[in-house]
Order: sequence, then structure tokens, then C-alpha cells
Amino acid sequence: MNQWETRRKRLEDEMQEHIDLETKENIEAGMSPVEARQAAIRKFGNMASAADQSRETWGGLSLERLWQDVRFALRSFRKNPGFTVVALLSLMLGIGASIALFSVVYGVLIAPYPYARPNQIWAPAVLGPHDAVHGWHWYSQREMQEILKLPAFSDVMATSVKSVLLTGGVNPENFYGVFLTGGSFNFLEVKPLLGRTIQPFDIGPGGEPAPVVVLSYGFWQRFFSGDPHAIGRTITLDDVPRTIVGVMPPRFGWWTNEAFWLPLRTDLKDNSGIAIIMRLAPGVTQHAAEQQLNQLNIRLAAERPDDYPNGQLRTVLLNYMNITTASGAMADSLHLLFAAVGLLLLIACVNVANLQLARTTGRAREIAMRLAIGAGRGRLVRQLLTESVLLSVAGGILGVLLAVGATRLIVVLIPPDYVPNEARITINGWVLLFSLGVSMLTGILFGLAPALRSSRPDLVGTLKDGGGGATGSMRGRAMRGWLVVAEISLSVVLLAGASLAVRGFVQVLRTDPGFQPEKVMRIDVTLAPKSYPTWQQRNLLDRNLLESIINLPGVQAASLGNAGLPWSGWRSSFSIEGQPPTEGRKVALALISARYPQTLGIPLKRGREFTEAEIDSGTRLALVNETAARLWPAGQDPVGRSMQIDDLGLPMTNPQVLSAPGIAAGVTVVGVIGDTKNDGLSEAPAPAVFLPYTLFAPPERQLAVRTTGDPLAIVNAVRLKARALDKDLAVGKPNTLDEVIGEQTQQPRFNMALFSSFAALGLALAAIGIYSVISYNVTQRVQEIGVRMALGAKRRDILKLILLTVARLAALGLAIGLLGCFLIERLVRFQMFMKTSFGLVPLAAIVLVLAAVSLLAAWLPAARAGNLDPVTALRHEL
Amino acid sequence: MTTGELDSQLELLQGTLDLLILQTLAFGPAHGHAIARIIQQRSDEVLQVGHGSLYPALQRLLKQKLIAAEDGLSENNRKARFYRLTAKGRKKLSAETSKWQRFSSAIARLLAPLPDQNS
Repeated sequence: MNQWETRRKRLEDEMQEHIDLETKENIEAGMSPVEARQAAIRKFGNMASAADQSRETWGGLSLERLWQDVRFALRSFRKNPGFTVVALLSLMLGIGASIALFSVVYGVLIAPYPYARPNQIWAPAVLGPHDAVHGWHWYSQREMQEILKLPAFSDVMATSVKSVLLTGGVNPENFYGVFLTGGSFNFLEVKPLLGRTIQPFDIGPGGEPAPVVVLSYGFWQRFFSGDPHAIGRTITLDDVPRTIVGVMPPRFGWWTNEAFWLPLRTDLKDNSGIAIIMRLAPGVTQHAAEQQLNQLNIRLAAERPDDYPNGQLRTVLLNYMNITTASGAMADSLHLLFAAVGLLLLIACVNVANLQLARTTGRAREIAMRLAIGAGRGRLVRQLLTESVLLSVAGGILGVLLAVGATRLIVVLIPPDYVPNEARITINGWVLLFSLGVSMLTGILFGLAPALRSSRPDLVGTLKDGGGGATGSMRGRAMRGWLVVAEISLSVVLLAGASLAVRGFVQVLRTDPGFQPEKVMRIDVTLAPKSYPTWQQRNLLDRNLLESIINLPGVQAASLGNAGLPWSGWRSSFSIEGQPPTEGRKVALALISARYPQTLGIPLKRGREFTEAEIDSGTRLALVNETAARLWPAGQDPVGRSMQIDDLGLPMTNPQVLSAPGIAAGVTVVGVIGDTKNDGLSEAPAPAVFLPYTLFAPPERQLAVRTTGDPLAIVNAVRLKARALDKDLAVGKPNTLDEVIGEQTQQPRFNMALFSSFAALGLALAAIGIYSVISYNVTQRVQEIGVRMALGAKRRDILKLILLTVARLAALGLAIGLLGCFLIERLVRFQMFMKTSFGLVPLAAIVLVLAAVSLLAAWLPAARAGNLDPVTALRHEL
Repeated sequence: MTTGELDSQLELLQGTLDLLILQTLAFGPAHGHAIARIIQQRSDEVLQVGHGSLYPALQRLLKQKLIAAEDGLSENNRKARFYRLTAKGRKKLSAETSKWQRFSSAIARLLAPLPDQNS
């Protein structure tokens, strides 16, 4: 820069010297000194332009000009602090909100996984002729061997989850252990934090797994406090001591982020399902792989028809990125929110364009002057664009700061069950790159129109009439009017979207779950399977446990059953006597003890409950909910009738679950209980059949305890009772049903919170925009107002004049916005937040709010116009 | 760039200014003002150099290494920049001069008075 300055100075000196010499010659020729100098300067021509052109040959001039423009822009921002602050604020909010949301989109949808090339991981779905994709297919181990032989796949891994009991020197606790084939970690390509991962050699030649375990970061922190010497130590899982060989980093959560990974026993006779994922061999298309796998599936279905859909099979490979994130409720709402934040950014752009336009119109005289003394139009546009981009980049930097805070808030709000547990939402390099792009684009977007417009003024007119003349700003006024219209219509759409999100949330909150979740605690209890090898032993323990808990002080009612309360998990096909076969329909099965309806607060509608004796003996009786009762023809009371539950008649595939002796498919219905939202708060109740828990004796049970006081206070007493019965009985993490139901409201709450804050920001920006335009409008029309007042207009008339201008713009904006909503409703045929229409009442409310905000924003400048002193106003010149 | 005060003064064609500067410097080093004056005088005041356009041309020639600049003293006895021809510039001058002469004689032949068409 220093050398640059020297060279520049030298050029200036040289030209100055030239003019001095010329002057001297002119004086010698007989001119007066003043005349001589003027003649010399005239002869030389435009010195600044000559210097500019000379420097151009040096190269790097565009950089110098940029620097000039930047300094000039900074100077003019300093001179206009009001404009600068409002513009920066608008940009900060608009860009900040986009960055914050983009960081969520990036973390959740674009790069949610730490695995290598997650978009090249595929999972198979096997479908009947009319099935829609509803999850992936579970194969058996023998079937996986067949898949491995297919040339279409270069790598295949399998995962299976089983509950595993941790004992040996710690409080016994049940975990969902993840069992993996030997090559799985190499498939996923994630390096361990410590030690090593599970390798193919961990599974012996006979298929037997080595007693090793790889810990999750969470487990390692919890049980070893992050001690690096944990490697080589042992933990006892299902009574087997296993050596810890590795610890995974915090951002690895393949099917668990709180338990551990174990090698899966290779057992070709084991028919329990394993989840298989694969990578395609180089050069193999998805279609070709699907074809190969489908051929295999047809052959496998012939051997095990029960595990495959009926009819002509179709095989679809699902991309891992799609099954786990892009198809979920979270992805839907993120797409909508991204659109919303786009609207918000547009409003911010319009706002700043408006301000910029008002300012450049105010600067019309300066610009005309610069054009007159030889500034090229391109040069001028570039200068104005530099200002805009500078402004937007500054706004972008502020936006990043805002986004850092906003992102933290979003992370708190984000429902954990709706994003992969490995997703990390941070302001990373990609997000910053996005921010820079958005800022630059924003700058150009809001800067281009005003720059182009103002660099083409009517030179003579503008210079003559002193800046704020009527002729020059007519077009500017119309354009600003349209910008206000655009702002209002964008706000209508944004607010309409937000109203849907709010209504969706309120609907979920207001949903009656069909039971009373208050003061009900849910606790998992797991016994050590080897200590209780028989069905009788397990049920005896469960009965004793339940009895001791019912007798605890503060317990109003308690029941015991399978896990998952209050939702339904297990589904079975069924048939009802005298009814046509129910192709494909299933009922939800739940195992319960006596007093289940009282514990959850579900009314008994007809018939009776189970008796203690019936439960103890494992009698095949059933309660059904009202939806299930409607499976019988109208007028037929299901009480006393029997139905076939197919799953009860099938051999149990899980060796850990013991069935009641002589169990069969037929059960007799003894009562009907009320419907509950057993499929989620926003879904219709599924038909459900409740069976005595003693029909099956799995190691895990779930207690539901209704208390008279604080439900949390009962947890310790339950723990003590469990320990008194068996010190190895694992008592899991307790939840209240309120908490469990609360999870269902997280996604709607997230949508509502984000959508409404975007809408509120949009509304605020629109209000600022309207205010600044009207207040500028009033300043421009001071003379006109003065004339009107001098001719007898009252304060009221002036107010009316200004407010009418706004009302017209607002009405147009509202109309366009409503038209937009209508078009969205008609064309998109959307289903947002469980609503299919914006609804008249919310739209009317939005119109009222926007109209009120517009008039309010216009009121201040209008009042100022009304209070003008006509004499001052007439003299007023800008 | 040029200000035609008189009809008899001609605007310089694009690129000819460079050639004229090189030709002027063939007689010895000169500073900017002298170059402008010499061109004007030697063309009998017909060619009018907009003095401002001289400096971009000088910078252009410097960059092409056809001329070199050094500091010296002007007749005002003040520090001034003197320009002189480099070897490369001398070569360029002779090449351009012969090209220009061929060009101008060709133009002159073409523009020779035509026989009157209507007679």
C-alpha cells in the first residue's frame, strides 16, 4: 500500500508540474496569472479522470476503487445513523434467522451422521403388490448369507438389539445392547475414541462371539467417569464378564448412545430378525441391485411365507438418508420452516431496499452531480451496490452473532426423538459459508433495484429543482409503494403459516388421551433370566413385587405389564368367529394386571375386569377397547364372545420370553374399556386387546404406579421393595406419564415456537418498513401539505390524506397475501400440522392485525404531518 | 479526450498518440509537458493532444517497457519525470513507423480525388 501511495503521489506531482509549466508559458504569452492557470487547467482536461486512467494501466485499480467505495460507504453510513441502524437491524434479524435455521437443516438433514458416505447406505424394504413402504425388512441370519453372495453388494452389515442385564458390583440395570456382525464398524467407518472397534476376528470360526464389548461415550462417562484405563477391564452383561476393548466418540450412536456394542453370534438356525444394510458394488445401479435382491426374496419367501407379504413381491432399496431423517415429521417441519425463514428474509430485503431507495432518492442531487462531472453509470451502480453489500455483510456478521444465540435456543427446543442422536447443530464452516452467500445475495437483491433506478435520474431536472422535486420521485414513490405492498402480502402468508402451527400445537395440547396421566409413574423392572428359568418362578416374583408396591403408603393403584405405556407396540393379526377373515388388519396387544384401568384412569364401559385368580392362573381372557369392540358387527356385544389372536398360537421366537403352558390363540372377551390415544396424540386410537400379563413371562416388565402425592417420591420406595425381593432385580429409569405424553407435544411446540417467532419478526420488519416509507413520504410532501393547509385543509384532512395512502397500500397487500394463501391452499393441497386449510377466522384475524399494525406504523408520521405549521411547510425546501 | 477548439485541429486516432510519444522521445529524453508541446508544435498546431490523455499513455508505454522514466530537473528548476526511449521502444518505433507509412499512403491513394460521377 505504501509503494502504491508513493507512485500515486508521484503521478499527481507530475501532472501538477505540467499545469504549472503550462501556466508559466501562458503568462509569458501575455495572460494574467489567473487566466493563465485557468487556461492551463482547461487544456489539461479532467485531471482526476486522467489520473484514474493512468493508474488503470498499473492494474489492481478495481481493488483500489473497491476500497474507495467502502470508505465512502462507511462515511455515508456514519452520516445517516438512523438509516444504518434500521437497515442493520432488519438484516440482522432476517439473515440471523436464516442462518440459525440453516444450521438446524444442515445438522439434521444434510449431515446428520458421522458414518462414511451415509448417502450410499441402503436398507431393503420388501412389499406386497399394494403395500406402501413402511420400514425395512428383517431377515434371518441364514438369509443374510444368501444376500452376501449377491454380486450387487460390496458390503453388508447386520444389527440386532436385545435387552442385556448389567450386574456385578453395580446397581443391576437393563440396557438395550446392540449386537453387530464382525465387519460392521468397518462398514460404518467410524474410528473409536479409545482402543479398537469390533472386528471380524471377534466372531470365531464356529460363529461364537468373543466376550468383548465396545462402550458408548455415554456409558463410559457414566460408569468409568471417562477413565482411559477402562480399556481391558470387564463388565458383567447377562452374567458373562466381557472385556472392554474400545470406547466410541460422543458423536457415534448406532442404535444406542447410552449402551454398548457387542459381536453378534453367527447362528444360521436363529430366525429372529436382524436389520441388514448394504453398500452397492461399484457400477451397480440401485435398480439392478433391487432386481437381484427381489429375485432372492421371491426364493426366500417360498421357504418362509409367514415372514413375507403375500402376492407378487416388490423390493425397494431405501437410502439411509431418507429413511431416518428426510421422511420424518422433523424433516417436514424443517422444510416448512425453511420456506418461512425465506419469506422473512425477503421481507427484510424489501425493507432495506425501501430504505435504500428512500435514501438514494434523497441523494438524487448528489448522484446527479456525480453523473454530471463524469462518473460512469456502471461505476455509480457499482458504488451503490458496494454500499448495499457492505451493509448486508455487516448485517450478516450481526446475524451470525444472533444465530449463535438462537441456535442454542433451538437446540433446547428441538425434540430429541425427532432427530438422529448423532446430529450436531452448530455454526460450522458450511453454515458460515451459507451465511456469507446469503448476505452477499441479500445485498445484491435489495441493492440492485434502487441502484439501477437512482443512477438514471433526469439530470437537469434534479439539479435544477434542488433534490426533492416531484418529477424525479414519482417513480420512486410508486416503487416504494409496491415494496410496502410486497411486505404486507409476504407477512400475510407468514402469519397464516404461523397460525397453522399454533393451531396444530393447541390441538395436540387439547387432545384427551383417554386416560388420566397425572400422578402416574412408569418404572421398568428387569430380572436376571438365568435366576428365574421357569414361567412360574418369573410370575411369582412379578406378583410379589406388585403386591408389595400396592401396599406402599401413598400408592393409590398399581399395575404391571409390558413396556411402552401408554403407547401400543406389539401388533398381531386376529380373527373373529363368524366374521370374514381380516386381511392385513391387526390389533394392538397389551399385557396387563388387575386394576390396570384404575391405575391409568380408563373407564370400564361394559363387562368386568380380570380377577386376581384369573391373572395368577394365566387364563386366556381379554379386555378390548371400544375401537376393538367395533370389530364385531353393530349390535353384537363382544363380551362373552371369543376371538383368535394369532400371535398367541405361534411358537415364541425369542428364547428369553417364556409362554404360559398350553397357550393357544383363542381368548374370551370379558369386558370393554374406553379408548385411549394409544397410537400417539394426533392419531386415531388403534383397536387394542388387553391380556393377563401372566400369559407371557419376559425378563422385562413395566410397572405403572398411581400415587396420591408427588409421583417422584415413590421411586425410592419401589427401588427398596425390588431390592428386598432380589438384589439383582434391575429398576430402570422412571418417567411420569405426563413426561411421556409431553414428548408428543415437542414437535408441535417446536413448530409453533419457530414459526411464530419468524412471523413476529416478519410483522415487526413490515411495521418498520411501513413506518419508514410513510415517514419519508411525509417529508417529501411537506410542501404539498403546506399548500393544502394554506388552501384550508384541516389537520384531520391531512391525517386522512396520509392514512388513506397507507390504507390503499395495505388493502392491496392484504388482498395479494390472501390470494397467495388461497393459491397455496388450492395448488399445494397441503397437510401442515394436521390442518388442511388456513381457516376463515385465523385469516380474518391476520387481516385485522396487519391492518392495525400498518395504520399504527403510519400514524406517527401522519400525526407529524398534521401538526405542521403551514408557513414553515410552505417555506420548506430540501 | 481532445478538445477541438478549432476546426483545423484534429483529434488523434486511437493508438497514434503512443507512436507520436515514441517518435518525440527519439530525439532525446523529455518530461510530460515538453512531450505535449513538441507534438503540438511539430504538427504545426494541427494535432491537439489533450494534455490529460498524455499521462495514461505514458503509463501504458512504461508498463510495456517501451520507455523508461527517471527523475530530473525541469526548466522551472523543479523535480520532474523525464522519459526516454528503451531499446525495445526504438525497435517498436521503427516497426510502427513503417507500418504507419504504408497505412497512410494506402489511405491517401484511396482517398485521392474521384472523378465527378455526375458529369
